[in-house]
Amino acid sequence: MDDAQSAGLTDEILEDCLQALHRVEAQGRGATLEDVVAFAGISPAVADAAFGELRTRGLMDSGSNRLALSGEGRRQAAAVLRRHRLSERLLTDVLGLPWDRVHDEAMRLEHSLTPEAETRLKSLLNDPDTCPHGGPIPAHDDFPAAPKAQRLDTVPAGTQVHIEQVTEEEATLLRYLASLGLLPQAELVVEEVAPFGGPLLVRVGGARYAIGRDVAAKILVCGDREPPGPRRRRRNRRGR
Amino acid sequence: MPLTCHGALQALRAEVDLSVALAGNPNVGKSSIFNRLTGMGVATANYPGKTVEIQLAVTRLGDRRIGVVDLPGTYALGGVSEDQWVARQALLDGAPDAVVLVLDATNLARNLYLGLQILDLEAPMVVALNVVDQAEARGIRVDTERLGEILGCPVIPTVATRGTGLDTLIGEAVRRSSRRAPLQARLRYSEDVEAAIGKLERALVGRIDRPHRLTPRAVAILLLEGDPEFAAWLEAAPHAEDLRRLRDELALTLRDLRGEEPGLLLSRERHGLAGLIAAEVEHRERQRPLLADRLWQFTTAPLTGLPILALVLAGIFTFLFVVGDWLSTGFSALWTAYASPAIRWPFITVLGHNALSRTLLWGFDAGINAALAVGIPYVLTFYFLLALLEDTGYMNAVAFLTDRLMHRMGLHGRAMIPLVAGAGCNVPAILGTRVLGTMRERIIASTLVVLTPCSARTAVILGAVAITAGWPWALAVYGVTALVALGVGIGLHRFLPGHGTGLVMEMFPFRRPTLRPMLKRTWAHFREFVVVATPIVVGGSIVLGGLYETGLLWSLAIPLRPIMEGWLGIPAVAGLTLIVAVLRKELALQLLVTLAIAQYGPQASNLLTFMRPDQIVVYALVNTLYVPCVATISILARELGWRRALLISAVTVVLALLVGGAARGIFSLYR
Repeated sequence: MDDAQSAGLTDEILEDCLQALHRVEAQGRGATLEDVVAFAGISPAVADAAFGELRTRGLMDSGSNRLALSGEGRRQAAAVLRRHRLSERLLTDVLGLPWDRVHDEAMRLEHSLTPEAETRLKSLLNDPDTCPHGGPIPAHDDFPAAPKAQRLDTVPAGTQVHIEQVTEEEATLLRYLASLGLLPQAELVVEEVAPFGGPLLVRVGGARYAIGRDVAAKILVCGDREPPGPRRRRRNRRGR
Repeated sequence: MPLTCHGALQALRAEVDLSVALAGNPNVGKSSIFNRLTGMGVATANYPGKTVEIQLAVTRLGDRRIGVVDLPGTYALGGVSEDQWVARQALLDGAPDAVVLVLDATNLARNLYLGLQILDLEAPMVVALNVVDQAEARGIRVDTERLGEILGCPVIPTVATRGTGLDTLIGEAVRRSSRRAPLQARLRYSEDVEAAIGKLERALVGRIDRPHRLTPRAVAILLLEGDPEFAAWLEAAPHAEDLRRLRDELALTLRDLRGEEPGLLLSRERHGLAGLIAAEVEHRERQRPLLADRLWQFTTAPLTGLPILALVLAGIFTFLFVVGDWLSTGFSALWTAYASPAIRWPFITVLGHNALSRTLLWGFDAGINAALAVGIPYVLTFYFLLALLEDTGYMNAVAFLTDRLMHRMGLHGRAMIPLVAGAGCNVPAILGTRVLGTMRERIIASTLVVLTPCSARTAVILGAVAITAGWPWALAVYGVTALVALGVGIGLHRFLPGHGTGLVMEMFPFRRPTLRPMLKRTWAHFREFVVVATPIVVGGSIVLGGLYETGLLWSLAIPLRPIMEGWLGIPAVAGLTLIVAVLRKELALQLLVTLAIAQYGPQASNLLTFMRPDQIVVYALVNTLYVPCVATISILARELGWRRALLISAVTVVLALLVGGAARGIFSLYR
């Protein structure tokens, strides 16, 4: 962990790593060290240090050795990618650079766009859907392939979700949940939903918690996917 | 008498050579370690206004006296909940020479969060990696050496229930405490956070008024997190304008940079770090889940959970009645045969056969006999079963399954735990409502506990109703009581201002219970019952004996006539026993027989000779519903205050009269 301090990590490198991971994940496979090294143009040692920092920030899964974005990491990576692809559009559509050269330019531009500049750029370019290479431009605050947020108490048993936000601005509840690891962007699996409006049983990492319906109603989540493994789907087990 | 924490911690430090605090998540075996390390002389202490207790004891290693403080089991340190506040405060006040962090080897990532907070306080730490046997059974191996390197402190694998590793642990704690310089490797947050901590830390170096003489870094982290107590210190600190401005500035910068409140951000990063550390030191073999774990899931599954709960409850009560009844009969027989003559003899010899000696014997013979006949057989057996439910982790399944029902009464599932305990004795059950967060919840739960038939009232229901009117009627009395309790709970939820809090509770995997800690806890519970209940039972019996022996009791029956005969339709003498039963509930029945014999002659020992079965049902209903006994009232007063205790008592008396009168009315329609 001390390496992260000495490796001279910059925000640019971290954003490049996020983007690299996001691009590989979009292809539906797990990222490798080589993928990231090749994309970001950094040494394996720097990449390792960057992963450490990203995990510390909660942007990458820290529970395993695989290279994977966390929910929040995916959101931030999508934002970098959006700025990258908008920059590419600017370079081709407005400045007239050939499309095979804009990627490298955009790798620099993407880090310096402020949210305001990004919004203006978007409207200047008539809100494009794709980059010059045909890659989709992620919508603002879009979670790739994620449906809209729903309340945790409406989620059926057997689904994996991540926490989007805790709605009630109840600082103590928020902090208590946080101390258990139930933070925004934390991934959890709903294992059991007690019938007749009973509590939910969720698994977060290695721990299982019972959460009452009323508390669950204050937690907004986004569905990820069915949990891995041969677990059978359990639908229609919800009361009410 | 509970001590106050601050004083107790000071006193402990003064009398020992060094002190060790035990910290850890709930249910990681912290108490087992405490019990193994220490012997009997355990003191408890609490902070004024707080109900969560800490335990203190002294142990020896060679010629050194070591004070051991058992902090409440918590997931974190801080001001969010009472247990977290007490854990941190006791840690800061006690300033132990070493903190033993007890980790659950089966769930390292979540457990390490607390460890990182202790390291943030820069306290000297030793890690007990507990339940390594269970982790191995689940295919988890932990590289203790690597974990020690990362945390910069010794890591000792332990199995507390068997005592494995505890000698090494205490030895390491002693060695750790003798080193002055902080040893641990500093775990680093992300760069932005570290930068902010660093700036604030440098600004704090010059301040000698740092709370609890914490290091600048520890205070910097707490200030950045927005911890209310440390924020208050900074607000009140003199000449701290620059510091306040810097803190605000850094917090704002962090929020802008990372789009999250620094408090949450630090939580997130701590969880991130904990996960990283766990991933590095854990080797998980792919293994099918344990059979026990898979079977355990049936206890909370929608289709099987409730039937299993019904079976468990039926099992408990069957065991209680069979074993309890057997023990009760046995004890009474032994008492009558041996103890009773031995006690009677000195009283009779010294005082002679008169009202005074007989009055005293009501207390010291019959009173102690009654306490034994109910206490040991029912209460002790019940607490043993309760410890079994707690140690296997099944109690949490009970809370999970009953959460919905409890919600209708403004409570959540965890309130079910004291209610179950209330079926043994209401007194410790009311103490058990301390697990609930708010006073509103404690009032509702305590009222429900009071309406839960304890073993003494059960003795009356079974001894009077089941024998004379039959089992279905005994069950009907339980049913009516349950309905009344439900109604009262719903009513209180509507009527009391405020709202309920939700359930957030960890569900533990199945743990094989071990006998020794279970027996120790059973004994601790039982001792609490004996200390509170016995003096009142003996004293109450003496008062009662005095009334009976002087004949005053009969004149007391006269003013009761309108209520007892007119409203409830039971003989006034029976009503009289109801009133005096407030001293000891099971006494109602004993006394009923005694007084009946005195008034109607020996043939009245069969209750049916002077009361009809329906009158007995009304009698048992009233006895069950109205406030259990003086011991309960006094414990209610201690926990909730006199006004609330008297109010709850009054409500139950009114309820008992209403329900009793209604039952009489219904019976009279069918007669």
